[in-house]
Amino acid sequence: MTAFRITATVTAIVALLALAGCQKAKPVLHVFNWADYLKPELVQRFERENNCSVVIDTFDSNESMYNKLKAGATGYDVIFPSSYFVDMMVKQKMLLPLDHAQLTNLVHLDPAYMRFATDPAMQYSVPYMMSSTGIAYRKDRVKDFTPSWRMFDRADLKGRTTLMNDYRETIGAALKFLGYSVNTTNTAELTKARAVVIRWKKLIAKFENEQYKNGIAAGEFLLVHGYNGDLLQVANENTNVVFELPAEGALVALDNMAILKTAQNVALAHKFINFIHDPKVAAENIEFVLFLCPNKDAYQYLSAATRTNPVIFPPAAVLDKCESQRDLGPATALYLKLWDEIKAAE
Amino acid sequence: MHAEHDHHRLPPGRPATPAPGPRVKPARTTSAEVLVTAPSMLWLLLLFCVPTLIVFAITFKPADLYGGIGPGWTLQTLRSLSNPNYPTIIWRTIWISFVATAICLALSVPMAYHLARVTPRWRQLLLLLTIVPFWTSFLIRIFAWKALLHPEGLFKQALVFLHLVRPDASLLYNAEAVLLVSVYTYLPFAILPIYAAAEKFDFGLIEAALDLGATRLQAFFKVFLPGIQRGLLNAFLMVFIPSLGSYVIPDVVGGPNAEMIGNKIAQRVFVDRNLPHASGLAAFLTVAVLLPMLIMIIHQTRAEKQPPTMREVA
Repeated sequence: MTAFRITATVTAIVALLALAGCQKAKPVLHVFNWADYLKPELVQRFERENNCSVVIDTFDSNESMYNKLKAGATGYDVIFPSSYFVDMMVKQKMLLPLDHAQLTNLVHLDPAYMRFATDPAMQYSVPYMMSSTGIAYRKDRVKDFTPSWRMFDRADLKGRTTLMNDYRETIGAALKFLGYSVNTTNTAELTKARAVVIRWKKLIAKFENEQYKNGIAAGEFLLVHGYNGDLLQVANENTNVVFELPAEGALVALDNMAILKTAQNVALAHKFINFIHDPKVAAENIEFVLFLCPNKDAYQYLSAATRTNPVIFPPAAVLDKCESQRDLGPATALYLKLWDEIKAAE
Repeated sequence: MHAEHDHHRLPPGRPATPAPGPRVKPARTTSAEVLVTAPSMLWLLLLFCVPTLIVFAITFKPADLYGGIGPGWTLQTLRSLSNPNYPTIIWRTIWISFVATAICLALSVPMAYHLARVTPRWRQLLLLLTIVPFWTSFLIRIFAWKALLHPEGLFKQALVFLHLVRPDASLLYNAEAVLLVSVYTYLPFAILPIYAAAEKFDFGLIEAALDLGATRLQAFFKVFLPGIQRGLLNAFLMVFIPSLGSYVIPDVVGGPNAEMIGNKIAQRVFVDRNLPHASGLAAFLTVAVLLPMLIMIIHQTRAEKQPPTMREVA
């Protein structure tokens, strides 16, 4: 009996070790990305083609991603920062210079959108998706919608709207509403923007970065401030949800793929970035996430509805009014102080 | 802590006489005892004391622009705690925690009284029901409240139908919603220690009080409540301390005007990239939590000095 038990235990241990060994043999790529920002089937395809497994962890703002890394989180290989964060992370020497020899698909990138990139030479980062921040509303419930930031002043929507819990986005929306640059460091302009956000704050349900998607789908919120692709995904499931870019202009962001200096699997990380920019993969991904991947050879594979969607491909007139965020350096403190005052205002 | 109640417990049928003699003093610490407590002491030291001290230390370090901690020492953070935006949020944190604790205690005392009086079978069932919510993730239960309090949900419609709220009133995203969900979340933490105390309470004392001419209400307030005061104190701490550090509840069901200190600390870490400021707030919170603990310890030591009979009913 005892002998049998020992044999059984030893067998079990050996089996476990063998299993663990197997898993170790399969390389693992750790990706740190925004939520709902990559078609899962494409990830599975990448895993099959490269005999590896991909572990995806998600973040809901550049700040939380950056701070998690800054606080010492390691183990991630590929990350998806917005351009102004690429800037900052390059300054902080957190990113690995990219090896273009391993990134043959970079030739497909669309130069038209490179003006929103802070690293157009793609030394450290490759553009992934262009997003814009605008307004989604329930067309069954909101009367007389106008595509303007003015909608956040509508008293009839009190308690049923959300603004983003992101100081650059929300103060940026107020700056655009007032006709100023989203990168202004002029205190008079910022003070006016503060007054606008505090006025809006009295009417919103909450500052929210993630739950606005479920909220507007469930009819809990009637009008929300959020990213175009996320809200188009909601609109695809719920035809009452409509997304529009405000006429005053909006913030656009170019999100990028970059490899961390602390990456464990640099070769696989390059393969992953290259895979994403295969034109057919990029097209499939655009159809799923409904953001614009600036890959000019992918557009031919898109459905007509996607190719002509003004939210994904904004017309030049609207795009010209849009701006992307820049790293403000020490002037960031001005925005943070403003955000504190906005949060504390009753 | 509860072990100290044991000598209060009297065998059934025996009159309530003073406890026999002073408590037996524990023998002096043996090396075996040291060995037994060493792992937990080490755990506390490494994973509680050291990190807390680090948090206190970071408070006195300068922040750099990119989320790091600068060299040298500074009092800048301490000065920034006088930020004019803080008093509102600190006051809100304290009153939400305090009111939530008070409501939890008020609801728990009758529940604990009942638990201590019912038949063992009922008691087991009720205790099980108290603990059942823990089988579901805390986060899921909070999100369930969001569904329950949906602006067009059944509950809201019922309240509107009964003319208890106006149709445009919001049940979510305000301080009251935070209070409600806090009470819901922390209630079991109040029921259990109070029940533990009530279970050891000698209900013969209430009969004695009634025999001696007290009304039921007087017996409840002058005999029962003092008899379970240690349970009340434990329940107070079990609810008040975690709710001071609330982060998830105000984040999910709180609105733009329901921010608590926990949310501010998260903002300092994740948005502002200012670890010293976050540490300063966290240190403030630690002190705010240690203060009631200190008061409790002082209270206990004072109680120890009184003769046992006084402790029973006084």
